[in-house]
Amino acid sequence: MGIRLASGSGPRTLVALAAGLAVMAAVVGALGKNPLRAAGAVVDGSLGNSFGIGQTVQIWTILILAGLASAIPFSARLWNIGGQGQMYSGAIAAAALGITLPAGWPGAAVVPLILAASTAAGAGWGWLPAWIRNRYGASEIVTTLMLNFVAVLGAAYVIRDAWPDRFAQQTEAVADNARLPVLIGSVRADISIVLAVAAALGLWVLMTRTRLGFAVRALGANRGAALLSGASESAVASAAFALGGAAAGLGGGVFVLGIHGALLNGFSAGLAFLGIAVALAAGLNPLRVIPVAGLFAILRVGSNNLQAGADLSPATGDVLIAVFVIMLMVVGVIRFSYGELVDG
Amino acid sequence: MVSELVLVTFFVTSLQLMVPILFASLGEILVERSGVLNVGIEGVMLIGAFTTALVGIETGSVVLGMLAGFGSGLLCGAALSALYVRVGTDQVVTGLMFNILAIGLTALLRDQLIGGQVGPILRGISVPVLDRIRFVGDVLAQQNALLWAGIALTPVVAVALYRTWWGLQVRAAGERPGALAASGHDVWRTRYAAVTLGCGLSALGGTALVLSSSGGFVPNMVAGRGFIALGVVVLARWRPWVALLGAVVFGLAQSLQFLASQIDALAGVPRELWLAAPYVATIFVVVFSLQSRYPAAVGVPYKPGTASQR
Repeated sequence: MGIRLASGSGPRTLVALAAGLAVMAAVVGALGKNPLRAAGAVVDGSLGNSFGIGQTVQIWTILILAGLASAIPFSARLWNIGGQGQMYSGAIAAAALGITLPAGWPGAAVVPLILAASTAAGAGWGWLPAWIRNRYGASEIVTTLMLNFVAVLGAAYVIRDAWPDRFAQQTEAVADNARLPVLIGSVRADISIVLAVAAALGLWVLMTRTRLGFAVRALGANRGAALLSGASESAVASAAFALGGAAAGLGGGVFVLGIHGALLNGFSAGLAFLGIAVALAAGLNPLRVIPVAGLFAILRVGSNNLQAGADLSPATGDVLIAVFVIMLMVVGVIRFSYGELVDG
Repeated sequence: MVSELVLVTFFVTSLQLMVPILFASLGEILVERSGVLNVGIEGVMLIGAFTTALVGIETGSVVLGMLAGFGSGLLCGAALSALYVRVGTDQVVTGLMFNILAIGLTALLRDQLIGGQVGPILRGISVPVLDRIRFVGDVLAQQNALLWAGIALTPVVAVALYRTWWGLQVRAAGERPGALAASGHDVWRTRYAAVTLGCGLSALGGTALVLSSSGGFVPNMVAGRGFIALGVVVLARWRPWVALLGAVVFGLAQSLQFLASQIDALAGVPRELWLAAPYVATIFVVVFSLQSRYPAAVGVPYKPGTASQR
């Protein structure tokens, strides 16, 4: 296998978690703050009230989709670091359609249409580096990173020039008929969490029960054997990238139609890169992405409460997540193997 | 067309933007030549920038700020090489996690320790003879010592890689680690040294960002320059002199937006198009660097005693 979770790794996962928490407690303590108070503030901020719960569900949604964006290509040992760009292209598509489609059309038609467009835009932006890789042999690591910046600048153009809001750094609001239906009003949760969980289930079925999913995993596990078995590397790479991009694009779409109702400057706030952490901690398994994304969402949203609760920066949650995932690699819960020889 | 003042400003800005990319690329060349890909370069630069700002603010000394920036890079390199080399974690994902860690940690520490304070910065130094040349003198008068340090470092890295035994070992570790081990050398130790030193140099890119701007630290201020350096290294085909040229090109590309804003005929072009130029250029560079290939062992941890490592 390329990357996998070691089996029976529960105790070592706890070791990694404990090590991550210990490192964070040491940092927080060294800064003269009380680590326990900080932990309390995180839980309180993410789960302690309906506003926090609503936010946690929103970030959970995005992290599931961002996690899938990496998990699928990573399974084929293709480094899709372009989740951010794919998310932005989905968001741009959603904003453009949400603003320009006729306001008289029924929401039951408009919302699926726009989300399909977002998904397609993300898939297209994800497919591009795969095409470049297949056609010219250029490393997808550099191209996906660069395409992130291009998409972010595309969003900046849309926000500044195409449909600017008069007051804030965002586009004008999408039409009411394009907003996602609200599921639970008390916590402002919309249907996007259902879509994200469905996407995870769908991709899990695809990865474990279909020929394509098998080919994607085979490419990551043993490229030589995968090619011998008749898989086309370029076709599988394109599909893996497009599927990952589609998940990220859907994330951008629900961001615009659900959470904000507009395209905001810097809306993704590092969530796409956090999605990579989700994919790794989930061992690239689409089903495990769901709970891992939930845990990281609690940390991320709860950290916003740290400023008020413990006089600490909201960045603390990301640090803890990064340390945790690095520790998972160090203690061998996340394993890597290199089936291919180095050409001497 | 454009006035001389505009052109002078354009080249002044370009050279200033070139310096961080030059240091980052030279450091990354050392790292990659030894068989390691450091996607965490962005985080290394951020930590270098933060440490420089912190020490500059606390001590008021640019020299100490520079040394601290370099030292923080060495520490990052030591930690990263322990993961990349000793533990043998996947280099791409380890680097990405390190970036998340560095972005968060520097933002956290900035809030606690320095906030919006600014520290000392490097002033322009005049160069004998060159400063009397029209135009060139005007451009160079506003460049600080780090430009010259970066240019001077280029041949040093080139000589170290190509004219020393150590450089030969580093290149062997990147191309045929098995052969290096067979000749009685320690692949791990060679890579530790190259990654540690390379990260030290890359961190100076962050140092240059701080000392050539306000002397303070802004969260995520490296803003993708480390990733651009990854592209420059491919463009340069892992050669220091070509990396110098590549860094100049990217400095120019990053200042295009300023130049375009001064030309009336280009007023209708969205500024985002110019801002995207360096990133699009990087994509084209890696696409058309057909003959360039990574050193053979890049990305693959070396396990002593395995037959697969030739």
